[in-house]
Amino acid sequence: MKLRIAIWIANAFGAISRITKRGSGVMVTGRILLKLQPNAVSILSRRRRVILVSGTNGKTTTTSLIFSALSVKNRVVSNYTGANLFAGIAAALSKELIAPLAALEVDEMVIPWAIKQSAPEMVVLLNLGRDQLDRLSEVRIVAQKWKDALANLPKQCRILADADDPFVVWAAKDWPNTIWFSSGAIGHLDASTCPSCGAILQWSNDGADYSCRCGFAKPKAVWVLQGEELTGPDNQKVKVVSGIPGRAAISNAARAIAVASYFGISIQDSSVAIAKVSSVDGRFGSLRIGDTDFRLLLSKNPASWRETLATSSSGPERVVLDVNANTQDGKDTSWLWDVDFSPLKDRYVVVTGKRRLDVSARLTVNGIAHHVVADEVAAAKLLGEVKADLIASYTAFYRLAKSVTK
Amino acid sequence: MTFTIVHLLPELLGTYGDRGNVEILSWRLAQREIAHEVLTIGVGDSIPTTADLYLLGGGEDDAQIAALEILSEKDTLKNALVNGAHIFAVCAGFQILGTQFPVSGSRMITGLGIIGIETVPAKRRSVGELLSRPTAPISMLTGFENHGGQTRFIDDLEPLGHVVSGIGNGQGSNGDGLVTSQVVATYMHGPAFARNPELADWVLSRKLGALSSITAPVFDQLHDERVAKAE
Ligand SMILES: [Zn+2]
Repeated sequence: MKLRIAIWIANAFGAISRITKRGSGVMVTGRILLKLQPNAVSILSRRRRVILVSGTNGKTTTTSLIFSALSVKNRVVSNYTGANLFAGIAAALSKELIAPLAALEVDEMVIPWAIKQSAPEMVVLLNLGRDQLDRLSEVRIVAQKWKDALANLPKQCRILADADDPFVVWAAKDWPNTIWFSSGAIGHLDASTCPSCGAILQWSNDGADYSCRCGFAKPKAVWVLQGEELTGPDNQKVKVVSGIPGRAAISNAARAIAVASYFGISIQDSSVAIAKVSSVDGRFGSLRIGDTDFRLLLSKNPASWRETLATSSSGPERVVLDVNANTQDGKDTSWLWDVDFSPLKDRYVVVTGKRRLDVSARLTVNGIAHHVVADEVAAAKLLGEVKADLIASYTAFYRLAKSVTK
Repeated sequence: MTFTIVHLLPELLGTYGDRGNVEILSWRLAQREIAHEVLTIGVGDSIPTTADLYLLGGGEDDAQIAALEILSEKDTLKNALVNGAHIFAVCAGFQILGTQFPVSGSRMITGLGIIGIETVPAKRRSVGELLSRPTAPISMLTGFENHGGQTRFIDDLEPLGHVVSGIGNGQGSNGDGLVTSQVVATYMHGPAFARNPELADWVLSRKLGALSSITAPVFDQLHDERVAKAE
């Protein structure tokens, strides 16, 4: 079937799904398109410069910021609403066929397929850490999948990879066109052994450097973020201003500036465009429940909880933790014990979600006073007319994000 | 007398929130005002052999081998057992105690050989809720398992629990973990002591004698909720 006809049919089904309120229609469009034309992504990528973005944390935000930076000069298609599996990628590419650029967020396990199909010009690898261990596999196995997949890249393709993450470095180090990025991240929860040989990995005391007796070591970065200053090749510098709160957002903004520089956007122009983005896909958006004005935050694994708790600590005094363990959240809640909730001390904490008792047990041992309530409405009732942060796990977040107003 | 808990190699054996077990024991002892200390033993630290209770958690393959190498030196755990110590081990930590266990699918590694068990690769990874009826006089046990091995008893041993739902040791044994006079082991993380307050106190009382009761309803509620969902 001709691709244009396949897209037309897929879009029609997507529209029906949207009109009948069964969903946003994106997944339906993507699924039908791939059914009618299994190589749709390959065909739709042919005349485009494709950028793939993957990693455990930050891929939605980074993709969105790359989109903003590239949009300064070009039309860009993107799937930065988190639809990062096969159908979401196909649906994103089926839009705006004239757009010369595509910035695509890709699930860690979908990277091999996405590389084969899209023949990318750049791959951005953020980090790899423990996440939903019941569903995804151990970190080392994901890194191996990446390493194998990266060997199939088109020759001229660049990889922008995180030098601070030993798993990312191990996966990307053999590619001749790898550009290393460093934001001085501290340590790594899962990298106590060397990804290359399995021996104990030697970390410097500040957690900024690592090496192994086998010769595996942290590479020297070409792009370095120190505080808010990003330094690139030829000692070019720019101040990174993020409209999205938190240290991770600044680091992701810096990556986006670096990526866009290889596509003809000056680091100054990117920086200005990126500073204007204040919320991505509901993250940090506003939400009113009852009389309470919530700021909605997403948190999904130990690394992202640490980051979110740090970001939230400069927010309102009151905070709601909303934790589920559905399939998309990961059904195993043991990760709660890998998070130190001490930053919540001295704040007014309310716990809800399907696994509120697991959270309550954790907070009890962590010495954090808290209230347990049945749902977000009960939380709002308890809080009353105040501002509060609502930190939600994946499924709770996406249910609430639909009601977010900017 | 200070009750000493040794938390062994958390960077290597701590993939599934295992440090929670240590924190919970410490918290339950503190609630009872029982003097205690937790020694966290990292890579490169020397391991004491005179502590009361040693905790081993779960870990990925490379980390499991690295931990085994460290624990093999000077027969540390064997000596601790001779000195009267108890061990509580979860998942990879459980497998290490036996005669052999598999990594990377099928490569077999010789274990510490402290207890008469061996672990072989399973056809499918065991992932999900695990519920067992304990052999000890405590409430039903609830946890979450995630392991690629099946564990067989070589010696005549008693499991920690008889599996009601989930896999546990596998091999058609219908058991999870094991109990000897000094060792308690399980495939349950969750962590196990968060979901099973009676198990936490039972492990402590085997060494400390009868314990006073404490008021901590959240742990009982969590236990009952998890058991009810799994049944
Ligand atoms: Zn090495």
